[in-house]
Amino acid sequence: MAEDLNWAVGGEAGDGIDSTGKIFAQALSRAGRHVFTSKDFASRIRGGYTAYKIRTSVEDVQSVVDRLDILVALTQRTIDENLDELHDGSAVIYDGERSWEAEIPDEVEAVDVPLKSIAEDAGGAIMRNIVALGAACEITGFDVEYLDEALEKRFGGKGSKIVENNKEAARLGQEYVQEHYDLDHLGYNVETTDNDYVLLNGDEAIGMGAIAAGCRFYAGYPITPATNVMEYLTGRIEDYGGHVVQAEDELSAINMALGGARAGARSMTATSGPGIDLMTETFGLIATSETPLVIVDVMRSGPSTGMPTKQEQGDLNMTLYGGHGEIPRFVVAPTTIAECFWKTVEAFNYAEKYQTPVYVVSDLALAVTEQTFEPDVFDMDDVEIDRGKLVDDDEVDEWLDAQGRFRAHAVTDDGISPRAKPGTVDGAHMSTGLEHDELGRRTEEEDERVQQVDKRYRKVETAQNEEDWDYREFGDEDADNLVISWGSNEGALIEALDYLEDDGVDVRVISVPYIFPRPDLSDEIEAAEETIVVECNATGQFADVIEHDALTRVKRINKYTGVRFKADELAEQIVDQLSEEVPAQ
Amino acid sequence: MSSDVRFTDFKSDKQPTWCPGCGDFGTMNGMMKGLAETGNDPDNTFVVAGIGCSGKIGTYMHSYALHGVHGRALPVGTGVKMARPDIEVMVAGGDGDGYSIGAGHFVHAVRRNVDMSYVVMDNRIYGLTKGQASPTSRSDFETSTTPEGPKQPPVNPLALALASGASFIAQSFASDALRHQEIIEEAIEHDGFGFVNVFSPCVTFNDVDTYDYFRDSLVDLQEEGHDPNDYEAAKEVILDSDKEYQGVMYQDDESVPYHEQHGVTEDMSEIPDGAPEDAMDLVREFY
Repeated sequence: MAEDLNWAVGGEAGDGIDSTGKIFAQALSRAGRHVFTSKDFASRIRGGYTAYKIRTSVEDVQSVVDRLDILVALTQRTIDENLDELHDGSAVIYDGERSWEAEIPDEVEAVDVPLKSIAEDAGGAIMRNIVALGAACEITGFDVEYLDEALEKRFGGKGSKIVENNKEAARLGQEYVQEHYDLDHLGYNVETTDNDYVLLNGDEAIGMGAIAAGCRFYAGYPITPATNVMEYLTGRIEDYGGHVVQAEDELSAINMALGGARAGARSMTATSGPGIDLMTETFGLIATSETPLVIVDVMRSGPSTGMPTKQEQGDLNMTLYGGHGEIPRFVVAPTTIAECFWKTVEAFNYAEKYQTPVYVVSDLALAVTEQTFEPDVFDMDDVEIDRGKLVDDDEVDEWLDAQGRFRAHAVTDDGISPRAKPGTVDGAHMSTGLEHDELGRRTEEEDERVQQVDKRYRKVETAQNEEDWDYREFGDEDADNLVISWGSNEGALIEALDYLEDDGVDVRVISVPYIFPRPDLSDEIEAAEETIVVECNATGQFADVIEHDALTRVKRINKYTGVRFKADELAEQIVDQLSEEVPAQ
Repeated sequence: MSSDVRFTDFKSDKQPTWCPGCGDFGTMNGMMKGLAETGNDPDNTFVVAGIGCSGKIGTYMHSYALHGVHGRALPVGTGVKMARPDIEVMVAGGDGDGYSIGAGHFVHAVRRNVDMSYVVMDNRIYGLTKGQASPTSRSDFETSTTPEGPKQPPVNPLALALASGASFIAQSFASDALRHQEIIEEAIEHDGFGFVNVFSPCVTFNDVDTYDYFRDSLVDLQEEGHDPNDYEAAKEVILDSDKEYQGVMYQDDESVPYHEQHGVTEDMSEIPDGAPEDAMDLVREFY
């Protein structure tokens, strides 16, 4: 871990923190380095502390750590917020000419660069962050040419003059540090490699997965932290014959998506907790009318408006149980940014094969974190599309009743009925949220009610038997200590294994991407001496279902501060938990 | 779309459970005849219905159909039309469904100008919940929940549509079968959002807005020589609360429907067996 470099830029929202961070992350990725980013941001447009952090290494990095090597501070608060993470080899880049007097700890190198004046020399004060990036390149020995590439990517669309000015700003920043400081003793020397990585976040991966899976219609309403899915799809899905509608509210969004799905198109909506609440009535209709639809919930801190820009995994119960009556559904939860792509692809197949709504449950930590991957992690040749029992004109006949009516809700052994999209000759039928007969028409007959309820749940049984509801595994598979996790905690857990190994603690980690249906972990829990479930919520919602499945009590590590787990912190808590008594049966 | 489609092809074999004499019978007949007359057939038609007496229509008609949740029929219709510009979409609802719980969606579907027809069975009462005030009930209309009347002016759906930038606004009367059907046909054929408010009397709970009332008071705009392309004239009749009108109040001949404005022409239900051919471009973008 010694080759890690941890860099951050911080200031007020509106200071261009996000784009500055993104440019540097892209430059590092272009240089063949692994990058893992995280963001601290407040729910406001301007003002309020905001920071963009990058951890980079030639090795794979999957989590954040409590250490900061280079900090670009545009405000004193940026320094104050990160005091604990600065160490005696850190450098803080700041602008001493600005109105604030920087208070920087003695052991930290204070690198005073007149960012604003230099930027003005290069063509405009707005480029002061780019000057800081140039300075950071000098301190870390990072070849500024990679920064040039990132600047071209970022500003290429705005004309060559803007690109050249930015390159100049970076160069001047680099030169200023070269002339005024000698920081070789800090020992930073950022290695580069020939690797070509791609850099993306979880929302983008979900959007990309949707297009790859043949999603053509998306309706959504902006909400943090899911908006990025819509922003990604807008402007790209059109290239594949699709369209995005920004609806007037979440109720409309999910109903539009439902319309698209009933019209036969693979359709999707994405929202966050409060939006899921609003969509829940229609969720029941989707399940009852057996409409294939993918609904993405990018979780944030709840309840109510909670902490919109903070991490939490509090919606598991909502997605698993939400809605009146009993509703068959699938819930998949990506554990990494790459999984955001693949689970979205899977979700579309489950939706159409089983004609159910499928929740893709992601979280803020996945959504706003960018990470580097080998491009073939997203190998499009591996995308398979299964449209299930979608019948064409020739296949309709076998599903007609004696009067020639299409049995859209035919009771079958596997619970799955035929599906005819509009335009299919003789496939015309009605669907409804009312309990219905095989033809989709309202019924309150006891037998028909029971048949339809059973049929809808039989689809879940079929899926439980037919699909591979697997988990991912890390660490020592023979260890007595079992740690179970879901969602974005996986990366931090994998890195925590290194710390635990140093402490001589063997742990088997199971990361579960399926909430329902889900793998039965009874045997694994039985084989372990201790089981701990790790999740970002207060009550242990996944631990509850695990206890229910395995009929035993488990230990829990819960974090609900609004901040994701860090590797070192997790390792410490695992050790603490292992020394605790097992909770009462 | 074969030319020998009859309106009865749009009829299901389910007997309506509407009260005898309900205006919805006439409204539905006009919808079925209008669809057949404009060259549609059940396999290429999608009917979306809301909740309430009007919402039952999907059961009594034969086509691809969805009976949805209360007030959300228009977004469903929008989704169908965007995914399948090749399919004829008709949305049916009631005054409660459309102007109360669904009022927000109404405004936005109108301003989007989605190419579908929207038929609202306006009986100025909540029928299926047994007689409460609706958004179009008169301010002095006494009901179980408004014993002294709602004491608030009724929604003027036509004005709401006009203010939202509607490209087609019409009103008809379920009992005037021929005119009702003509108006429905014009709404279907309109390139954009074809909005028709239909006086569809509730014989059980509304003893004010009755067949006789409408028969006696209705003024036919086309008989009066009203020009639907004349926006100012349309504004005048729509805002005239002293008279009940039927006919096409306003039509914008230059109307370009939403899907065309957004370049959506393809049938989105047809997709490749795997990822699109050039899908790796999506990955390369992240280099």
